Amino acid sequence: MSIIYTIIYLITALITISGFYIQGNKYIRSMAMTQGFQSLLIAIVSFMLGFVLKEYTFFILGILVIILRMFLVTYFLINKIPKNKSYLYESKISITYLLIMDLIFIIISIFIVYSISFIYIKTTTFPVSNILLFPLLLFFQGLFLIASRRRTMAQVLGYIEEENSLILLGVFILPVPIIIESSVFLDVLILVVIFSVISIEKPVHEKMEELRG
Amino acid sequence: MIINILILIIPLIASIFYKNIKNSSVIASIIELFLLLFLYFNEGSPGFFFVDNVSFIFILMVDSIYLLSLLYSRKYVHSIKNRGISENFYYLLMNFFYVSMVFALMVNNYGFMWVGIETTTISSALLLITEKSDTSLEATWRYIIIVSAGVTFAFISVILIYYSFHTLTVTAIIYSKVKDTIAIRLAIGIALVGFGTKVGVFPVHTWLPDAHSEAPSPVSAMFSGVLLPVALYVLYRIYEIFPLKELFVWAGTVSVLFAAIFLGYQKNFKRMFAYSTMENMNIALIGLSTFTYLGLIGSLLLLLSHSFGKAGAFYSSGNIYKMSDTKNIADIKGLINNKMSSVSLLLSSFAVTGTPPYGTFFGEFLILYSVLQIHFYAQFIIIVLSLFLAFVSINFNVTKMIFKGKSDYSENNVGTLIPLIAAIISIAVGVVFLVVYNEIL
Repeated sequence: MSIIYTIIYLITALITISGFYIQGNKYIRSMAMTQGFQSLLIAIVSFMLGFVLKEYTFFILGILVIILRMFLVTYFLINKIPKNKSYLYESKISITYLLIMDLIFIIISIFIVYSISFIYIKTTTFPVSNILLFPLLLFFQGLFLIASRRRTMAQVLGYIEEENSLILLGVFILPVPIIIESSVFLDVLILVVIFSVISIEKPVHEKMEELRG
Repeated sequence: MIINILILIIPLIASIFYKNIKNSSVIASIIELFLLLFLYFNEGSPGFFFVDNVSFIFILMVDSIYLLSLLYSRKYVHSIKNRGISENFYYLLMNFFYVSMVFALMVNNYGFMWVGIETTTISSALLLITEKSDTSLEATWRYIIIVSAGVTFAFISVILIYYSFHTLTVTAIIYSKVKDTIAIRLAIGIALVGFGTKVGVFPVHTWLPDAHSEAPSPVSAMFSGVLLPVALYVLYRIYEIFPLKELFVWAGTVSVLFAAIFLGYQKNFKRMFAYSTMENMNIALIGLSTFTYLGLIGSLLLLLSHSFGKAGAFYSSGNIYKMSDTKNIADIKGLINNKMSSVSLLLSSFAVTGTPPYGTFFGEFLILYSVLQIHFYAQFIIIVLSLFLAFVSINFNVTKMIFKGKSDYSENNVGTLIPLIAAIISIAVGVVFLVVYNEIL
């Protein structure tokens, strides 16, 4: 049994690493595909926990993640990226600088949030308590992605990464009832569609004088 | 239960008549007001839905502003030249927006409340681009990304509530024995930041002035008058689990102070009213956070009166924008020549700044009194100074727009009655409160 827990632990670590990969990427399409892969990993974690704990809701959750997050969301995102080369590639950003800033931001945030409060919250589904670090890392990465990029699609991916971290957090702390979880998924799906609609009209975001103050 | 379901279904049925949705939505909102009467007398025992006196006032507020906004929209939206969405689609979204707010207010489950709040973002986002421009697209984007990120953060709070109580049923949790654990404290703190994004708590308020200034006026009225209070209601229901008075009152106080400072240098009158909303919402948050009876009454009174007053202010702003084609305070002169618009603007601005005998004045008075009751003297002083600053800033700008210079604006193409009605209802709320209060005494 402990081997399965170790595998779950490693996959969860891989999910966080995929977050770093998204952060360090300039190609929007590749970032969207990685998000799909990240969702698949979350679904695998959910299936494995369902198998270990003999709890059918984890399987439903996993299936929902695969259908809604991995396929539908990724499909919408990839199809709505304008074909123009300048939209597919973020040339104006310095990846090295962003990655260093990301690390500083995450370390400070995690130190504050995890060490002060989350360290006292014991997971009911996983015996190793510090696994909660991974979803929190992913959450702050999502936040940083939204704040650090100007492209609409990159910001949408940051938001989805945040959502992914919450599923993972829920899975480890205590999964909320599946009816609520599925409503959340549908909400997010519609939001992604709206995001995509707006991204056609406004693919890049800059400061505007009219919205100052 | 049946009345609750009817309240949620009727606006959706009205949406089926898509070709005539403009009229069917108004009829639906009037039916909704009648249904509220039945709801008041048949609140029933908590089940999937839970409506008590507090939530009832919020539902009444939402329905009234929804009706007024629909009526005001008829002329306003029809006259928009560069529409981002069609007129019928606008009404469809308004109906969904209303249903999602009422759902969040009636449901007896923290998880579904979260879903309701998230759905308000979905249904209202595209309403912001009704008057399509590059600026309104940017404002819409900021609204979606900031609010969604914030509300997503609030979901951690829902997870922690479930972790602590193994249920998300509101009545089961707030009537259970008070628990003081780190998980619960964390859940409530996170809810302040998460739902606070939608309430307009500093520093996560940044979407608020952008969205309010770029949305069409009836939508700004819905945002300011009822959407923010709905988010505040959800935050209050979570706060009831374990009141962290110090944290919440300080958060409200700092937000009121910053809103008053921001109000001092506004050039755009819609942004000015947006910051006034931030100020009022945080005063209400402080009142609710004192967790006293007077604080609660004061907040409800403030919110009710503010919703009509602010709706009047935004409708008036819409008229002024239509007449002058500018949102710049300095460019508006001599509104006094347009009697109806100037009266409604002046009355509304008095309403939102807490002038007696408006309900906002009595609400603020009770809230300040409740702050003293819990011995938060430093906060009391900061709030009083901020209120004074906000009062001067808003009324100085409004009187300048009305009385300074001469103009030749025409009121022919704008709806002047609805803003005036909204402003007068705001006074009526205060007067009725005074009469009822005297009767009680």
